[in-house]
Amino acid sequence: MTKFQLTVWSSLLICCLLTFSVGKAQPGSGQPHLKGLVKGPDGSPLAGVTVAVTSNKRIATTTDGSGAFDLTLPSSMSGARVELEISFVGFETKHLTAQAGESDLAVAMDNTRGLNEVVVTALGINRSKKSLGYSVTEVKGSEFTTARENNVANALSGKVAGVNAAGLSTGPGGSSRVTIRGNGSLNGDNQPLYVVNGMPIDNSVPGGAPTVNGSTTNVDRGDGIAGINPDDIESISVLKGGTAAALYGSRAANGVILITTKKGRAQKGVGVEYNSTATFDNVAVTPQFQYQYGQGLDGVESTDLISAQASGRKSWGAPIDGNTNYVAVDGQHHPYTAKKDNIKNFYQTGQTYTNSIAFAGGNEKTTYRFSAADLSSKGILPKTTYDRKTLNVALNSKLSDKISIEALAQYNLETGHNRTGAGDALGNPNWTPLEIANTADVRWLKPGYDANGNEQIWNDAAIASNGYFVINKFQENDVKNRFIGQASISYELIKDLIFKATISRDQYNYDYYNILPTGTLYTPLGLYSGIKTNLFENNSLITGSYKTTLAKDFNLSALAGFNDRRNQENRLTLTGANFNTPYFYSISNLQSLSTVPYRPRIATTSVFGSIDLDWKNILFLTASGRQDWFSTLSPQHDHIFYPSVGGSFILSDAVSLPQVFSYVKLRTSWAQVGGGAPDPYQINLTYSSVPSSGPTLQGVTTDPGSVDNVISNPNLKPYTSTTYEAGAEIQLLKNRLGLDLTYYNRQTTNDIVKAGISGTSGYTGVLLNIGELRNRGVEVLLTGKPIQSKNFGWNVSYNLGYNSNKVVQLYPGLPSIQIASTVNSWAFLDHIVGQPFGTIVGTLMKRDPKSGQIVYNRSSHVPVATTADQKLGNSVAPYTMGLTNEFRYKRFSLNILLDGKFGNKIFSLFEVYATRMGKLKSTVPGRANGLELKGVDQSGAPYDTVITQAGGVLRNYYDNNKSYSELFLHDGSFIKLRQVIFSYSLPVSGIKTVKIQSANISFVARNLFILYKKTPDFDPEQSFTNSNAQGFESIGLPRTRSYGLNLAIKF
Amino acid sequence: MSKYIRKNTGILSAALVLLSLSSCDKGYKSLNLNPDAVTSPTPEYMFSLAQYEGAGYNGHYGSSGSNFLMGTMQYTTSYNDVAGFGSKYITSQINASSAAFSAAYPDELNELHIVIKAVTGNASRINELAEARIWRVYCFSKITDLYGDIPYSQADQGYDSSNYKPVYDAQKDIYANMLSELDAAASSLDPSKTVSYGTSDLIYGGNPTQWKKFAYSLMLRLGMRMTKVDAASAQTWVTKAIAGGVITADADIAKMSYITGGQDINKNPLLLDMWNADYIAQNGKTNTEGGKYADSWINYLQATQDPRLPVISVVWVNGVPDTTSSIQKGMPQNLANQLPANFVTYSEPNPKTVLLLNAPRMLFTVAESNFLLAEAALRGWYSGATPASLYTTGVQAAMRQWSIIAGTAGAISTNQVNAYLANNPYNAGGTFDQQMGQIYTQFWVSNFPESQEVYNNYRRTGYPALVPNNYPTNATGGQIFRRGIYPISEQNVNTVNYKAAVARQGADDLMTRIWWDTK
Repeated sequence: MTKFQLTVWSSLLICCLLTFSVGKAQPGSGQPHLKGLVKGPDGSPLAGVTVAVTSNKRIATTTDGSGAFDLTLPSSMSGARVELEISFVGFETKHLTAQAGESDLAVAMDNTRGLNEVVVTALGINRSKKSLGYSVTEVKGSEFTTARENNVANALSGKVAGVNAAGLSTGPGGSSRVTIRGNGSLNGDNQPLYVVNGMPIDNSVPGGAPTVNGSTTNVDRGDGIAGINPDDIESISVLKGGTAAALYGSRAANGVILITTKKGRAQKGVGVEYNSTATFDNVAVTPQFQYQYGQGLDGVESTDLISAQASGRKSWGAPIDGNTNYVAVDGQHHPYTAKKDNIKNFYQTGQTYTNSIAFAGGNEKTTYRFSAADLSSKGILPKTTYDRKTLNVALNSKLSDKISIEALAQYNLETGHNRTGAGDALGNPNWTPLEIANTADVRWLKPGYDANGNEQIWNDAAIASNGYFVINKFQENDVKNRFIGQASISYELIKDLIFKATISRDQYNYDYYNILPTGTLYTPLGLYSGIKTNLFENNSLITGSYKTTLAKDFNLSALAGFNDRRNQENRLTLTGANFNTPYFYSISNLQSLSTVPYRPRIATTSVFGSIDLDWKNILFLTASGRQDWFSTLSPQHDHIFYPSVGGSFILSDAVSLPQVFSYVKLRTSWAQVGGGAPDPYQINLTYSSVPSSGPTLQGVTTDPGSVDNVISNPNLKPYTSTTYEAGAEIQLLKNRLGLDLTYYNRQTTNDIVKAGISGTSGYTGVLLNIGELRNRGVEVLLTGKPIQSKNFGWNVSYNLGYNSNKVVQLYPGLPSIQIASTVNSWAFLDHIVGQPFGTIVGTLMKRDPKSGQIVYNRSSHVPVATTADQKLGNSVAPYTMGLTNEFRYKRFSLNILLDGKFGNKIFSLFEVYATRMGKLKSTVPGRANGLELKGVDQSGAPYDTVITQAGGVLRNYYDNNKSYSELFLHDGSFIKLRQVIFSYSLPVSGIKTVKIQSANISFVARNLFILYKKTPDFDPEQSFTNSNAQGFESIGLPRTRSYGLNLAIKF
Repeated sequence: MSKYIRKNTGILSAALVLLSLSSCDKGYKSLNLNPDAVTSPTPEYMFSLAQYEGAGYNGHYGSSGSNFLMGTMQYTTSYNDVAGFGSKYITSQINASSAAFSAAYPDELNELHIVIKAVTGNASRINELAEARIWRVYCFSKITDLYGDIPYSQADQGYDSSNYKPVYDAQKDIYANMLSELDAAASSLDPSKTVSYGTSDLIYGGNPTQWKKFAYSLMLRLGMRMTKVDAASAQTWVTKAIAGGVITADADIAKMSYITGGQDINKNPLLLDMWNADYIAQNGKTNTEGGKYADSWINYLQATQDPRLPVISVVWVNGVPDTTSSIQKGMPQNLANQLPANFVTYSEPNPKTVLLLNAPRMLFTVAESNFLLAEAALRGWYSGATPASLYTTGVQAAMRQWSIIAGTAGAISTNQVNAYLANNPYNAGGTFDQQMGQIYTQFWVSNFPESQEVYNNYRRTGYPALVPNNYPTNATGGQIFRRGIYPISEQNVNTVNYKAAVARQGADDLMTRIWWDTK
């Protein structure tokens, strides 16, 4: 409904505005003009291109929305031949000589890679890519608006070498996890800093990321980047290493993602952009279950309600033969046949509609842009919805020759309903379609509740909730009101000496509650949990910059600045139990309610400076330094200094190379960044009240969000991440072929390790500055333009990142620390010295060292399990790659992105249960004639026995397979057809009634096919949390493929 | 020059900012103080928490998995493997047996460490110090009795001494120290000193005289524990305890008090656990974790015509709890992970008596004193009364206990008690072993639902003579286990000391016998 209203409203607005833009005033006077049209490499008009007189760049204009320019020259130039310089970010600058007065100049711009390209770097500074001593990748905003991801960070997947980005399988409104050049800290947040227009924003997940093993309230509440509207993005720059990010200080150790939003530009009339997308989602992977034996126990099918309830999630029955004695949990007789469509029948087609409209314009003094967007999403799980409304306004004004101001404001309203939990079975609706007996139709469980509204029994374990009861009766609601504001003023004191002051605030107010209703079998009186929080991040930044020429061909620019950061949260976590009046869900109706406050406060003060030198535009040198003071450190050593240096050398300009080389640049840099200053209040041991209805209780303050007692450490300091990198950019064959190579080495020392210590010390962990971690790797970007002709073009781009990670040291004598464990501890995630970050560990079946045979326990008939510390694999993919092919034929274009990740492992919780429930094909052997167990016993003597279904022995044998983690481990490698965009550019120039600059209609698809995977029953990207705990499939919402249509119109 | 200065104003001003920053106080120190926490502890408040946690809140008995000793002593069982670990000893759930170890040290033991540090050296707080020491012995004894050798002398010094890897002390040494702690603390208690925990003491309201009785009662319990391994010491300590004065009056029973409403921590943790894990729905059908009374428990009460059976047990008939003794029936313990069709017909705890969330938790009862004294008399270490009369007094006290727990709903009349004693007379003429059997089988019946002390006496005396459950995939070869296993984390984070303990005590296995549990 909202979508419809917005569309109507915007259409009306467009009509009104068109009247303005049609009747433009014609330029008059006797001065000569130069007129023309600028087009991009694909033939489409380019707006906003600067056209200037080379000899006097003050004589300049920009192209309008149709790519046209009209440059007024001084009368002194009448009749003269004038050289023009035509430049635009991301395109090769063109020079053109024309006779004053010409009016049909045609300019075709070429995309550039590495030549005179300008990129946005730290603090929002535009810098020539040539001059950078490090690798930076820029992605245009248009790449995010056609084939959309709700969370823009997900769309980075496969686009940038060395960036490992993935959305979570948590439904619409979910978070993303992005790591750049591997994980740099053992316990810290390894995601990059997100910066919008030079100022950091908050990317926290309210209440913290979900865990691998929680239940019910264990939902992904969405991260901060999810609130950014892709339509507002001009470009995204990925600053990968410490070198690139050194000016951002401690929070940039994991790289920085710089988002530049769209601004208005000087033009006649009002530019209007309208973008509308509708996409549909379906479950991507359907598990392949066994359909030989149906519901029942020990070879016997269920033939009455009681036995059906005892075996509702157990496919240990008789051979599936279509007989009619079968009774299911609905108490009805059904033919005993396989039901293969439970996944399809349980989930629906998800739908997302996005509509956005933007108005932009201005004159040479003042420009503005206003946008409004509405995203409305229904998940594949019925009743799951997510809605995001965004209003964004940007205003830039040059008040005088010396003073200019900029103001940006964004308001978001995000609402989520029934976000899905994962992990343990309670309240996890995804459990039901996956684990229900294979002869039962999941729809027989509908509506999941009885006449009183109480959960209907469908199996023998109350903790395994009826999925329909969860859908229909559980309640989850969250509302986030977010404001991001930024204002800056810059003052040019004398020529080229500019002072700039900026303040920004990112603030949200978040209200979340989750209700386990009355009548839940596992908790009949219900539970309540809520999070009410208020968070802000303030940054104040003052910079002074100066440019000068020191000597001939020798230029210097310098920058100095001061930054103050405040981040504060006021959080209340409410936990209640037992609703007094049944089915009435108010916190006033709870038998018990506890309210726990958490009010972290962080302040960081910084000064920084940098100096850039260039010689003849051939050799560039940069040095920077930053010092941070942290409120969370002890006053004795609360500050750290980080230096960086870098340089680049344009070999192709310095020496004469064979003609095949169009451009060769060499670069190298070295930087130190401190990272991960401790959380607040960690330097002192403190004591807190424990919620009590009786006597006052006091205990040692534990970590918020966990029950860990951690020994505090007054000597904590941030870790140091030292990166050096070297690389080369080579353009061959007149820029038809490009190669960008980077090698980096990033060493983290003094990492803050929450070392797990013996609980018998009174504490379960201690924070120590002793961790060491190394990431080193290679990034390759290959670009090619195999075909470039008027009507047909083909561009290809391939990127590959390889990152080798190694945990060098944890704590002397400590071989490993545990960071996560699955439900019931069936597998763990550990950091192990000598292994990569996040190794999945668990148990194996013990094997006889001599014969390799399985060792059985003679009395229990089950294989003996090893200790639970066996290394099973790396949870993080060391290889990431992306391959983009862009084809253009006349008005059609096709963009295909393949991406892949390789070399990681994933542990499947769903398969553990599906084995216990007899649903996997691997549980068929032995059902007919018994299973022979052959191996050795614990004394090494031969062991050979046959177990059968009688007395539940075979069933218990398979049930016990949960004791061997190795059985549920898979290679997580994959190649996906990540994105397809097939566009048609409508011929709009013929339309006279309304002046449409361009209109594109596209078929779009994301995650369309998985071309290669090793996980037969689930999507290998089935991660549920954006914390460091990766490598687990935890029965989350299945991942989807999405497809739809996009319409983009510019007026 | 002035031109130069003007040119470089930016750099200069930045430098000035830098200089001024490094010297000024940014208010960071106060910013980094948690507004919701204090920096020095209040001993009373922390002692209350240590009492709650020591008496079983927070994982000690706080989850169905760790409630397993009730199953092991065959009071309860479940058709479900996970919750049924205690009565089935299945391989895949053996880690459930380490929960108590994991919970004790960071919780009550650490809190007691902090309390003791805070009140030590203050003469006026001598009673608080003594009471914390006594409570610490109680808490440590529960852990060492379940696991054997444990960290003791170096425990809970992570913050004070940066000792992150405490050594495991031999149980023999732990016992010696616990007994001398009790002795020292009991004799230091001074009823004339008025400073006490007051209402923060949830056991005795800060009464030093009663704490003294509790201390000597624990001494009696722990002393008797050593009968098989060191009879001489056992006799010494038992004699000393009796001389000091043990709990013999109902008013002196060591019991934790709880309330019904409000936060979970204020409720009886054992009953709350039973309630949440199984009986909250109150219909006999949808018991969350599949729990019921076990067959051996109900059968025994029926065979002995025990008047406690209708007090503690119900069967749900057409949605109504029925206490009729004849229809009570315990669930078989060998159900193979399969909901039985007649699940509703099995007995379960009576909500009016056993499941009262505000019922006190019995830590040391008059009944226990009398049964221990009966054994002491049987061994000739005590001559104040005969084993028969102590046994009778014990049974009477145990029957009375139900009215202390549940008021009139738990009342058992004198006639019923006498009839029971007449039906089940004390066999004073029996062998030593027969008399021990009768005393400790009665202790099993009397101490319900508290199972750990029953388990301790079972291991020491062999009574009650339970028939172990030989369940498929059990981890013990079909025997009742002899100890809990250490947490897996100890293998990783305290490797050297863990290995030393295993080398001394025997494999970290459910069947390894601890020091006082010799064959």
